[in-house]
Amino acid sequence: MGGKMKKEAGVFFDARVYSPEAVKLAAAVFSGRLDISLKRTARGITATFGGAAERAAELGGAFANEALNQQCRMDLERKNSRLARIVLTKALLSATQRHAG
Amino acid sequence: MIQNAPKVKAGKQTLAAVPPHFYWQRLGGRVLLTNDAGCSSWLDEKDFRLLLKGGLKEGHPAFAGLAEGGFIRTRLDFNALALKNKRKEAHLQIGPGLHIFVTTLRCNHKCLYCQSGAISQASKGADMSWPTARRSVDFAFESPNRGITIEFQGGEPLLNWGTLEKTVRYARKKGRETGRELGLAVVSNFSLMTEEKAAFLIANEVSVCASLDGPEDLHNNNRKYAEGSSYKQTVKWLKYFRKKSDNQEGEKRVFRPSALLTVTRYSLGRHKEIIDEYAALGMDFIFIRPLAPIGYAKNLWGKIGYSASEFVRFYRDSLDYIFELNSKGTAIKEKMAVMMLKKIVRQDDPMFVDLRCPCGAGIGQLAYDHNGDIYTCDEGRMLAWEGDELFKAGNVFKSKYSEVMLSPAVKACAAASNLEMQPVCFRCVYKPFCGVCPVYNYEAQGSLWGSMPSNERCATLKGIFETVFLALRDKKKGAVLRSWVEK
Repeated sequence: MGGKMKKEAGVFFDARVYSPEAVKLAAAVFSGRLDISLKRTARGITATFGGAAERAAELGGAFANEALNQQCRMDLERKNSRLARIVLTKALLSATQRHAG
Repeated sequence: MIQNAPKVKAGKQTLAAVPPHFYWQRLGGRVLLTNDAGCSSWLDEKDFRLLLKGGLKEGHPAFAGLAEGGFIRTRLDFNALALKNKRKEAHLQIGPGLHIFVTTLRCNHKCLYCQSGAISQASKGADMSWPTARRSVDFAFESPNRGITIEFQGGEPLLNWGTLEKTVRYARKKGRETGRELGLAVVSNFSLMTEEKAAFLIANEVSVCASLDGPEDLHNNNRKYAEGSSYKQTVKWLKYFRKKSDNQEGEKRVFRPSALLTVTRYSLGRHKEIIDEYAALGMDFIFIRPLAPIGYAKNLWGKIGYSASEFVRFYRDSLDYIFELNSKGTAIKEKMAVMMLKKIVRQDDPMFVDLRCPCGAGIGQLAYDHNGDIYTCDEGRMLAWEGDELFKAGNVFKSKYSEVMLSPAVKACAAASNLEMQPVCFRCVYKPFCGVCPVYNYEAQGSLWGSMPSNERCATLKGIFETVFLALRDKKKGAVLRSWVEK
């Protein structure tokens, strides 16, 4: 479905599962560790990794996990954002009130 | 909503029979259930399936307990459950209570795991000036929290004694004038402690805390001190303050000194010696803290670090030994367990900034650097010392209190540590008691959110929670743990 490793050290992210934003966020997280190029097609996004093949293969799996993590987080946001925002607003508002004394 | 529940035939199940939202996990041959009120319960597999089917009825041995804990839909006492949740999450209502003052970056120790970015004691321009300290106190008092705790850290805070002394006096005066509850604490290695300094701290009700990593060889190996034995200095002054506290002369409260244990690879397998050291000193608590790969520790991780499973094994062995000592009459408690138990057993908020949702960064604590820069937490400040100012929230001279609280750093940390938005966490059985750390995630995994399946902090906390919950289920160990949080 998604996150398949290709021979040339790349990963294909199926558009039915992964949004472009999730893959781009994962690429941002890995920007200091891996040289990543993203190519978008109608079917999805292919990420290819530059640099040493060994390191690319090693980190490619971790990159796919990160994209999955980002996608799950975005899916969860759609589902749970109302409750999450209540918690966040309460915490920030309470902390922001300056003491009157 | 039940996540990943075993498949059961719904049949003609009515809504009333469907259990309310809870979290669960199989553990030690049974099923642990928890909910957002902080209640927990154990069921065997058969009864768990019965509960899911709506077949666990009144008269069943587990029914009353489940009903009281909010696991039976027809018996939900919303007022009681809401009250428990509100008490457990009290931190959501009050703003930052912990204010960490880095009075100097200088230090006379060179600890292997130092995360504070300390520099040599001869360095210039690394001390907090008195005007900066005074403005920092004023800033801290702008927090809406009724209770303000100012913790003096470093570096070694006694190296900037002049500012520390003035700050203590000023904060006490301000506390009296505003009627606020003020706690003052110094975290020191005690190597520069004198009778005069100790007398001043006692007279101003300043509590003291030192690192104690175990027996002399282990402590001194972790905490390098060129001018002698770090261990001897630490132990000497812990005994001194302990004696003063036991005697309680005069009107001022003399607090029991506390000590912090940092577990390195060298500590593994030596839990008995370490705990014996604390017990021999008459310490009430030992705080078994894992090392984080931040600061010097990150560079030396291969030498002094360990995996989550290694730490959890050490923690479990330590707790077992503490149970053994307690059964023999030595009253020593493990602090991490105590803080978890306050939530699990009493549904109270221990005000522990590391283990809450959202995390305490900014909204529960602030760290004031020697130059007046404000960070979400001390860990965030340490990163800035390495050149990354992501967690900087403002400056005491340039920023208004509200600007700091609504700074990108504070908002980002609060959003990223909201467990309702964390995949894996939001369905975790320990969610009602746990918290993530955006600084750790950023350092270890490259993003504030982190990724929990491969997050070592998450694995460590899960292991500790498992240890505590399994111990609570055991008759003898459970009785000891409950006694630790009895009011």
